[in-house]
Amino acid sequence: MSKSHHVEKATGVGDPQCFKGEAPPPKFNVGDKVRIRNLPDIFYTRSQMYLREAEATVVKLVYESPPAEDEAWDNTDSPEWFYSLLFKQTDLWPDYPKKFEADTLETELSERWLEGL
Amino acid sequence: MSNSDNHDHDHGHRPPAPMVDEVSDFEALEVAVRELCIEKGLFTQDDHNEWTEYMHTLGPLPAARLVAKAWLDDDYKQLCIDDPVKASLEVGIDWITSMPSNFGTPSDYCNPRILVDAPKLKHVVVCTLCSCYPRPILGQSPEWYRTPNYRRRMVRWPRQVLSEFGLQLPEDVEIRVADSNQKTRYVVMPVRPEGTDGWSEDQLAEIVTRDCLIGVAQPHPDRKVDDKRPVISAIHPYGH
Repeated sequence: MSKSHHVEKATGVGDPQCFKGEAPPPKFNVGDKVRIRNLPDIFYTRSQMYLREAEATVVKLVYESPPAEDEAWDNTDSPEWFYSLLFKQTDLWPDYPKKFEADTLETELSERWLEGL
Repeated sequence: MSNSDNHDHDHGHRPPAPMVDEVSDFEALEVAVRELCIEKGLFTQDDHNEWTEYMHTLGPLPAARLVAKAWLDDDYKQLCIDDPVKASLEVGIDWITSMPSNFGTPSDYCNPRILVDAPKLKHVVVCTLCSCYPRPILGQSPEWYRTPNYRRRMVRWPRQVLSEFGLQLPEDVEIRVADSNQKTRYVVMPVRPEGTDGWSEDQLAEIVTRDCLIGVAQPHPDRKVDDKRPVISAIHPYGH
């Protein structure tokens, strides 16, 4: 049974655990304010359109991994840090009722999608 | 039956689609890819049978046990927050070595995260992309979790969707929707309900239902099974 290098690396270790230590140092820290970039996403992405150009706060550095845009093509050469980000619902949806201003949405994006504010 | 079944005029009615053994495009694709994998020697039919049977053994009981343990033991609760892979081992789930891949699959990456509710903070999980779900510890996702209706509306109108599930939250409770769109798989740890003082771990685990672990329901001392989804008739049914 032949295995790709990713399978050999991840077996018994876990994915994304197998990419630990492979990303360049993180550019952002917990508490940083960021804006989501609107990058082109030909063929594959996991970065939802509703998040593009919205502002968010970094709440957790979650793991290192190749971004989905690379991994979809079996390219695991450039892992990067992934961040858990907190958005205000009223920032994401213009008509979200103001009386529920405290409502939030949390999701993850890789470093290439973020620009510092 | 009513008279409406006997009408003899034609205003666009079509008979209901026959329930026959048709194979959908996706099923045909799955069979084709599976047979190709077997022919190429990536795995055998026996492997596939074993994995299929394994998937059917999974369910939400380990996650319910994890929440019940955390309610009773603050150290364990902290472990659930800091190292959910290790915490899962104590309820019999090894994210890393579970079948079929021994490193997670696209739907079961090995990065679980426990979202801890507070009296003024309620988490609810959705995967807007498709169907990411913490399957090793929660089993197969319910059908509604995978519907476009739930996925697109939960991020946009969470309070309305939760109220359709029978969960109406006060204005001063923050709703935090977790969109599971990368490699983390979320499990909600709800607040321990009132009326459960002195309960054992077994008793507590019984009221932590699957819907509580997704975040669309709150545990209640009197409820051990999820409520049935209401069926709301279409205002303009198909064909009328």
